[in-house]
Amino acid sequence: MTFLNFILLGGVAAASIPVIIHLINRNRFRIVRWGAMHLLDKALRENTRKLQLEQLLLLLIRCLIPTLLALALARPVLKGVEALIGSAKSSQVILLDNSYSMEAGGRANGAFAQARNEAEALLDNIARGSDVAVMTMSGEGGLLLNQTTFDHDKLIRELRETDAGYGKAEAVSSLENAVATISQMQHPHREVVVISDFQKISWPENEAADRQRIMGLLQEAPLPPRLTFLPVGASDTENVAVDSLDFARLILGVGQPLNIRANIRNFGNRTYGALQIYFRVDGKERLRTQIALGPNEESQVLFTHSFKTGGSHTIEVFADADSLTADNAYMASIPVWDKVPVLLVNGDPNPQTLKGETDFLEIALRPYGEAKSDLRDLVETATVSLPEFTAQAIEGQRVVVLANVRQLNPSQLRSLQQFVREGGGLLIFPGDRIDVQWHNQVMATLDGGLLPLPWLDLAGSINDDAAATRIVNSHHTHAALDMFNDPRNGDLGDGEINLWRKLRLRPVDTSVSVVAKLESGDPFLVEKRYGAGLVIQCATPVDGDWSNLPARPFYLPLMQQLVTYLASTVYPPRNVDVGKPLAAIFAKEHAGKSVTLRDPSGAEHKIDIVDRGERALAEFTDTARTGLYIMNAPDDEPIHFVVNTTREESDLRRWDASDVEAMAEDLGASFARSAEAYSEIDQHRRFGREIWRPIFWAVLALAFLELWLQQRIANRK
Amino acid sequence: MSHLKEFMTPLELQKVSNLQVVARLVVEGFFSGLHKSPHKGFSIEFAQHRQYVQGDEIRRLDWKVFGKTDRYYVREFEEETNLRATILLDVSGSMSYQGDGVSKHHYATRLAASLAYLMLQQRDSVGLVTFDTKARAFLPQRSGVPHLRQMLNELEGAAPGGETELGGVFQTLAPRIHRRGLLIIISDCFGEVKDTINALAQFRHSKHEILVFQILDKDEVEFPFKQWTRFESAEEEDQFRMIDPAHFRAVYLDNLKKFQKELTDGCNRHRIDFTTMTTDRPYADALAHYLTRRLRRG
Repeated sequence: MTFLNFILLGGVAAASIPVIIHLINRNRFRIVRWGAMHLLDKALRENTRKLQLEQLLLLLIRCLIPTLLALALARPVLKGVEALIGSAKSSQVILLDNSYSMEAGGRANGAFAQARNEAEALLDNIARGSDVAVMTMSGEGGLLLNQTTFDHDKLIRELRETDAGYGKAEAVSSLENAVATISQMQHPHREVVVISDFQKISWPENEAADRQRIMGLLQEAPLPPRLTFLPVGASDTENVAVDSLDFARLILGVGQPLNIRANIRNFGNRTYGALQIYFRVDGKERLRTQIALGPNEESQVLFTHSFKTGGSHTIEVFADADSLTADNAYMASIPVWDKVPVLLVNGDPNPQTLKGETDFLEIALRPYGEAKSDLRDLVETATVSLPEFTAQAIEGQRVVVLANVRQLNPSQLRSLQQFVREGGGLLIFPGDRIDVQWHNQVMATLDGGLLPLPWLDLAGSINDDAAATRIVNSHHTHAALDMFNDPRNGDLGDGEINLWRKLRLRPVDTSVSVVAKLESGDPFLVEKRYGAGLVIQCATPVDGDWSNLPARPFYLPLMQQLVTYLASTVYPPRNVDVGKPLAAIFAKEHAGKSVTLRDPSGAEHKIDIVDRGERALAEFTDTARTGLYIMNAPDDEPIHFVVNTTREESDLRRWDASDVEAMAEDLGASFARSAEAYSEIDQHRRFGREIWRPIFWAVLALAFLELWLQQRIANRK
Repeated sequence: MSHLKEFMTPLELQKVSNLQVVARLVVEGFFSGLHKSPHKGFSIEFAQHRQYVQGDEIRRLDWKVFGKTDRYYVREFEEETNLRATILLDVSGSMSYQGDGVSKHHYATRLAASLAYLMLQQRDSVGLVTFDTKARAFLPQRSGVPHLRQMLNELEGAAPGGETELGGVFQTLAPRIHRRGLLIIISDCFGEVKDTINALAQFRHSKHEILVFQILDKDEVEFPFKQWTRFESAEEEDQFRMIDPAHFRAVYLDNLKKFQKELTDGCNRHRIDFTTMTTDRPYADALAHYLTRRLRRG
């Protein structure tokens, strides 16, 4: 025997209550000095035995009532007793594969349509009064109606509204969810039916650990559910997918060209002579090309596009290949910038031309502006002295440059820290004014270190050219220096650095990486991720006091590259994987308002903007479905989010029926080809009967017996 | 005042400690309740006036007649049949039971006092015997005020204790009360019914009139106890019964009924007057019963 509500079995302790009451009553007696003892003695002689028996019987009944009640509430199940076939109620979880591979064969007649029909047939066949649930296998493993239900018709209606097209099916974790759900359900006959296409990618072969986990799940449950595999769909493996999109992740300005490389893959055996590939920008077709694709081949298509306006844009590459449309397209959200605002904090201002700490940098970042050209600069600089460096000054900036800044006050430091944490870029240059001690003790230790590495002693000499060093110009792997791998863009080893600050590298610290080195062996540029943002620290000042770098041709592109690289972090990210939240940060004054978000199915969701300290945040977590989500920001600018999933599901190879049957056998599960076959199997394996009902009737009968007995005794009194 | 006295219950009279006062209140209250003068009672019947002769008691002179006629007359009364009565008062332990009202012993002593007062008022001679397993005090039958005081003293001094053994006691008493007369037995009559009836029969054999006042507490009649109770014997030390009385009530009452029936039947058989008094009944009821009995006899 086992119990569905084991904890309630503790109620058996209530059986002691009548005994305790009896003992308490016995101990709270009164004393009477009595004369008519002979009358009492006679009564005692005649009645004691009979009374004792009656009282014992009454006590027994009173003890039995709470005991049996607790037993009934604990829902005992008698194992080894065959249930009445057909009439027995059961608890059933249908685990429905809703991954996008289930759309193979088309939406109307594909695997998912078949799965839905089988699920509906299962729900139709199950006895009334059974509690049921339909769970999906993709993403978070959602529960239809968000709960288990006895209303089969309602669940069927909800099931008819359900679509596939979600991310990869997680077989083991969704089985775990199903077992957890069914363990909370009502009846001892528990069934989990998995309806899936049994793709090889979702149901890996010979994964002993997974198999152990599933078997453990089934065996450890107090009332182990019966597991049945019901495969659906045709074994058609023909599928072409746009596997991924590669494009430069550096910040993109208006008019700047974006190169997109689309990887197209044929998972099937068919040969495509002229496969049409479309390139769409903001939903409108811009380019079309065609490629030839052989069986199991992979191919790449290149597209280039320049955006004419700033703001949030989308690109999409679409292959007109097969009926499984979910993987025929790949989208990406691209933010395009009119301007990249950069704040320069000048630690050593000087009114004379080119004598100020940031004068060369300003020219390098805004060459057209400085030259009063008609061309537009992408970067827009604002220069502030140290006292002017406030939270307001940081607001709206993409990158902050600290040039020879002595030290920051606590409020400045706090604002800067938050700015970087939320995705801002920080570029730090030394100089003769910096307070090394403050930099090393405060900035380098602040919550993991806002300054990537502590400053060490100065190296080299202003007057001695022989002690000068140069930047090592080897092959650059860092994205910011990638362009210098082409000699036409300048030679980084061309400049001389007379004086530089050594940096203390910590061998075990993997959070800091060296971007470029000096010939002296010291780091020239180091990079560190801080929160969602990036910090780059340079060993030499940004002006020409200690080096001749500003006078070298590579200075301008180097500074431009560093700043645009630092500005390229898109935070919160706009291209996310399924299941990850979508978030947008707004100015604090928008807190309390709401935005609308349209999901790929066209449904609109209202999202509240919540206050998060100095910013406001709108977040949407239900991203089980892949595709484009459009959020309307408070200023009416749409923000595009693209939710993508891995293309593993595109490989439609699946286990055939005999493999699934063998897998089921291996796991101690059953195999059914249809809902009808399942019903037959189900009728042959039901065991175990819940016995709370007869116990409850016994409690009622005992209650009446107790009442009758008490009345009888009372009447005699 | 007389109206008030009429309704005085044993509980109210409990406040009066002097036994004589109690007896007087009871008797006078009773008679005023009947609207009859004690001087016209059954025992002192006025007969005639007679000329005073030397030797007559001065207190018997009728001063009203002297006031009217200036001559000395004395009042003469027709004396009743001279009644010799003995009150047998049970002072055994079982008489000490006290429920919500007065104890059985308290009730019994006051009833005895009231009866003695009434009888002595009627110029009957009264004796008193207190007993438990044996006779504790024995006052022979006499009349007169000093005798009343002596009886009341004896009654006041009697404390309940010992077992009830009516049969044995009565057998020892029979030879000591040899002149036939009225025996008033005040007891709860607990004990073997057969022995009790046999002993009473022996008195009857000696031509005694017997009047039994059985004194019971209301609790003994109704057995109203609800919670668990330890019944300790009032007569025997270390004897107790621990029971849930509610379960025994029916059987107890049944036993009591049988016991009472046996007693009543036995008494009827020997023409013994048997009356059960519960301690909440006014003493006057007992007096009325006695006087009814007396009238019938007279």
